[in-house]
Amino acid sequence: MVELLLNAVINGILLGGVLALLAFGLNLIFGVVKIIHLAYGQCVMLGMYLIYTFVDLLGIPLIPACLLTLPLTGALGVALQWLVINPLLRAKANPLTQLLALAGLIIVFENLAQVIWGADLRGVKVPLPLINFGPIFLRASNLIAFFGALLTLLSLYLFLHKTYLGLAIRSTAQNVDSARLMGINPGLIYYTTMAAGGILTGIIAAFFSPIYAVHPHFGGSFTMMAFIIVVLGGMGSMLGGFIGAFIIGIVTSVTAVLTSTEMGEIVALVIFISVILVRPQGLLGIKISR
Amino acid sequence: MLEIKSLNVYYGEFQALFEVSLRVLEGETVITVGPNGAGKSTLLKTISGLFRPRSGTITFLGKRIDGLPAHRIVEMGIAQVPEGGWLFPQLTVLENLKVGSYLKGSRREYAPTLKDIYRLFPILDERKKQVADTLSGGERQMLAIARSLMSRPKLILLDEPSSGLAPRVVSRVFEFVKQIKATGYAILMVEQNVRKALHLSDRAYLMESGRVHKEGVRQSFLDDPYIKKAYIGL
Repeated sequence: MVELLLNAVINGILLGGVLALLAFGLNLIFGVVKIIHLAYGQCVMLGMYLIYTFVDLLGIPLIPACLLTLPLTGALGVALQWLVINPLLRAKANPLTQLLALAGLIIVFENLAQVIWGADLRGVKVPLPLINFGPIFLRASNLIAFFGALLTLLSLYLFLHKTYLGLAIRSTAQNVDSARLMGINPGLIYYTTMAAGGILTGIIAAFFSPIYAVHPHFGGSFTMMAFIIVVLGGMGSMLGGFIGAFIIGIVTSVTAVLTSTEMGEIVALVIFISVILVRPQGLLGIKISR
Repeated sequence: MLEIKSLNVYYGEFQALFEVSLRVLEGETVITVGPNGAGKSTLLKTISGLFRPRSGTITFLGKRIDGLPAHRIVEMGIAQVPEGGWLFPQLTVLENLKVGSYLKGSRREYAPTLKDIYRLFPILDERKKQVADTLSGGERQMLAIARSLMSRPKLILLDEPSSGLAPRVVSRVFEFVKQIKATGYAILMVEQNVRKALHLSDRAYLMESGRVHKEGVRQSFLDDPYIKKAYIGL
């Protein structure tokens, strides 16, 4: 039993790495473009289908297939900015309209996937070994996903903190009019952010592909998970999202071992609601007082 | 250097500026005085491109700039210090200054400009690692002015630099404006503290209810009985 729990905790941590990536993307888009990207998990789903198509139908090896997917999911982000978000911003649409538009994208993406790839589970078969350290069994795919996610987060952090473009993105998130007075073109920053967010969904898809089989409704629970993490950690707090991701990862994984997968999501939601009741701004969120 | 002719600006259906004409010459410090709601801030925000005029022209160094987006106008050499500073609260002092040099042209000059700024505002050097949110009111205003200088502008638009500051701090802020003026920048300033601002200025405009009511050199404003009574309080 102890071994089982230990395994669950470690798998939870490994899952937390990728969840942190998902939450980071959602947080970045919310922080800069001020849009809640409800279809973010669905973008990951499309990325996984792309990888599946390249590998299984076109016979491209996995790693080049993943690399090929990144610019495509990045382009999807840019297209969303152009075709969906820009018109909403131009029309000064209220938050509810924005939310509905993005929710509509969920339906579009899921049905599109069903029409193109069908409702069956599609997976990339990669023979990856099971590694064991004494009583702990780890899947190599989870380890790759975990360390890959940490590396991606580190690169994103460096991009946001060490480059002029990253600085411009952070400035735009904090005060868009002031950013304009610094010579920053917000339109360009929005496109850059959505492209980065899109590439991120491609990276997540690459890490998920050897672990999970994809189906048209694959994205839903991950969007919800990412959303919970972002709110739990505190909207706009990157560190909060990071911590939240590991909490949710461990909780769902341990509960799944003790009871069932469905129970895992319930417990995650209960923890989420409890934290929000005590700290409405999230774990590391800044209290907005005006 | 800056030439504004018959500017009309609206907020939706409400007209904020009526036929406003104004100019700033090379190296000149011009102040616009007037009550709250006279359209002074609107005027600055229209010059910097945050608002679009419905009619009228704004010419800067011989080029029409009205209707250009704000980020293009900064590129032409006009930097605005908005009322309250509009700092990036979660960025450090140094990062705030660095954003100020975001434009390609000023990026190349980043290191020497920063050196000049630190000489002018030594306190910012001391506080460079601090998050802007933790600065005092006076330091924030200093940082806002310093940040605008990072783009190496030719004209600086100062919107109420003394607003919300303690009287002792106000004097220091004006000291800085004086230093900046001495380095040769052209300044267009909107200010409630009319007496202090007038003493700094070369020329002045009086704006009331969205119109320019009077323009003239500093002394003509200081001697004007109406200005004295309404704005200086002597």
